[in-house]
Amino acid sequence: APGAARLPLSALAHPTPVTADQIEHLHRRFKQLSNDKPTIRKEHFDSIPDLEFNPIRCKIVQAFFDRRNLRQEEDGLADEINFEDFLTIMSYFRPIEPNMDEEQLQRFRTDKIKFLFHMYDADHDGIITLQEYRNVVEQLLSGNPHLEKGAARSIADGAMLEAAQTCVGPMGPNQVYEGITFDDFLKIWRGIDIETKMHVRFLNMEPIAHCC
Amino acid sequence: SQGIIERDETTMEKEIAGLHRVDFEFSDIFYFCRKGFEAIVEDEVTQRFSSEELVSWNLLTRTNVNFHYVSLWLTVVWGVGVVVRYCFLLPLRFTLAAIGITSMIVGTTVVGQLPNSSVKSYLSELVHLTCSRILVRALSGTIHYHNKENKPQKGGICVANHTSPIDAIILTNDGCYAMVGQVHGGLMGVIQRATVKACPHVWFERSEVKDRHLVTKRLREHVADKSKLPILIFPEGTCINNTSVMMFKKGSFEIGGTIYPVAIKYDPQFGDAFWNSSKYNIVSYLLRIMTSWAIVCDVWYMPPMVRKEGEDAVQFANRVRSAIAQQGGLTELPWDGGLKRAKVKDTFREEQQKNYSKMLVRNGSVG
Repeated sequence: APGAARLPLSALAHPTPVTADQIEHLHRRFKQLSNDKPTIRKEHFDSIPDLEFNPIRCKIVQAFFDRRNLRQEEDGLADEINFEDFLTIMSYFRPIEPNMDEEQLQRFRTDKIKFLFHMYDADHDGIITLQEYRNVVEQLLSGNPHLEKGAARSIADGAMLEAAQTCVGPMGPNQVYEGITFDDFLKIWRGIDIETKMHVRFLNMEPIAHCC
Repeated sequence: SQGIIERDETTMEKEIAGLHRVDFEFSDIFYFCRKGFEAIVEDEVTQRFSSEELVSWNLLTRTNVNFHYVSLWLTVVWGVGVVVRYCFLLPLRFTLAAIGITSMIVGTTVVGQLPNSSVKSYLSELVHLTCSRILVRALSGTIHYHNKENKPQKGGICVANHTSPIDAIILTNDGCYAMVGQVHGGLMGVIQRATVKACPHVWFERSEVKDRHLVTKRLREHVADKSKLPILIFPEGTCINNTSVMMFKKGSFEIGGTIYPVAIKYDPQFGDAFWNSSKYNIVSYLLRIMTSWAIVCDVWYMPPMVRKEGEDAVQFANRVRSAIAQQGGLTELPWDGGLKRAKVKDTFREEQQKNYSKMLVRNGSVG
């Protein structure tokens, strides 16, 4: 007999201000990815052909399982996530709403920058070291035979130098720049509107017509 | 079908062009992050492999994932529909199908005993057509054929888009073709062995299928003989959900000869003909089809096409595919139908990375 689509009730009460329709679509997508199971593991992301294009595929998938992004107490990576966790990660990519006040906007922005920070900071120690940054740049340029061996390294080194100059100011010859902390990271992003670059916007759904 | 998220169409070039150096290194991660998320929320390819969602409900529960309980009256109507479909239509159709298949096997075996002659060909065509027609009735098929003057001729190759195993029956309802396929076991095998006696269908053993040259050679020989019936091929290689046409495998287009493209478009209002082979097996698929209201489809015969000078098999295949997609109102996707089961080839990925790195170098970030 006809019945309502089955969604976990907790998901509908979730603090992300997306509409019920959008949550339903995401839920369907979640079920598609998980083969109708209640949780997703890393392997389930292998079934997305469009994602294969992406050089930082591993980092993106890992971001879904990063406990810091899931706002969990423990550290490290989770083995599997449920639909609520999926929505939590999706909420980092919310577009700006027109009626947000100053405080909300600030928190919004900080959340998105934090998400990026976690992507760079692979060992979860709160600092992006030179090596961690090099790793990310190398991944972005991975597999390209056209670039010489040292190119990724020099890009990373150059960027770290500029970051150090921005955050710490001119350094003496014996000073060592440990790495980019989260506050430094925020400084770097000051003035750049990350909110309009890091979002995924849902189209308006048409209401489903019924025949009677 | 329409997507659910707004895709940002800015290319990498435009995005990176106006940025300062520091932002540049950090912001390229934006671009890929966003693209990654877009792909996770929705990707073009996987959409095509699940059945088309209908905007209004046709009283078949299965074609609308989203239905809500609306009213008692609607539920009663739906209930009556279920009774009609399962208790009245299904047994009727099943009987017809049984009659059709039995006649096919018996008829073609009898005709197969005759020595090769024009009488045999005529009788064989008669048997095939009649049994096809019975089978189409068994599915309550209503088919509209357009442009019958372009019907495939002898010695040609008929190429069509593939949605379900019944595509073949839809076409043989209106003309006679030499079928191409792998030898199966069971009932299908019996039908294959019987029909090949009456009419020169091309059935390959499993081991032969792997040898591409052997396959091409046999098909070439068939096509060269102008007295033989046109071959029927489905170049996509797998069932697609009838909203788009995927990459055509170039093998069919290397054989030579004249290609007769045919576009088949099912009307989803009466029944969903798409076979999602990873979700349903053939028996449950047939059960679903036989308990639908009807199978309604349009078939367009298109003017013949030949390979042009200097055109290779892949380009030719794409040209034919565009024509079919345009005629049937289907979208064209540059994706391989084999993606339903396999992963993207490394060449696509490398291409993307090459483009990105070229821009990085051009922007003077190196050294």
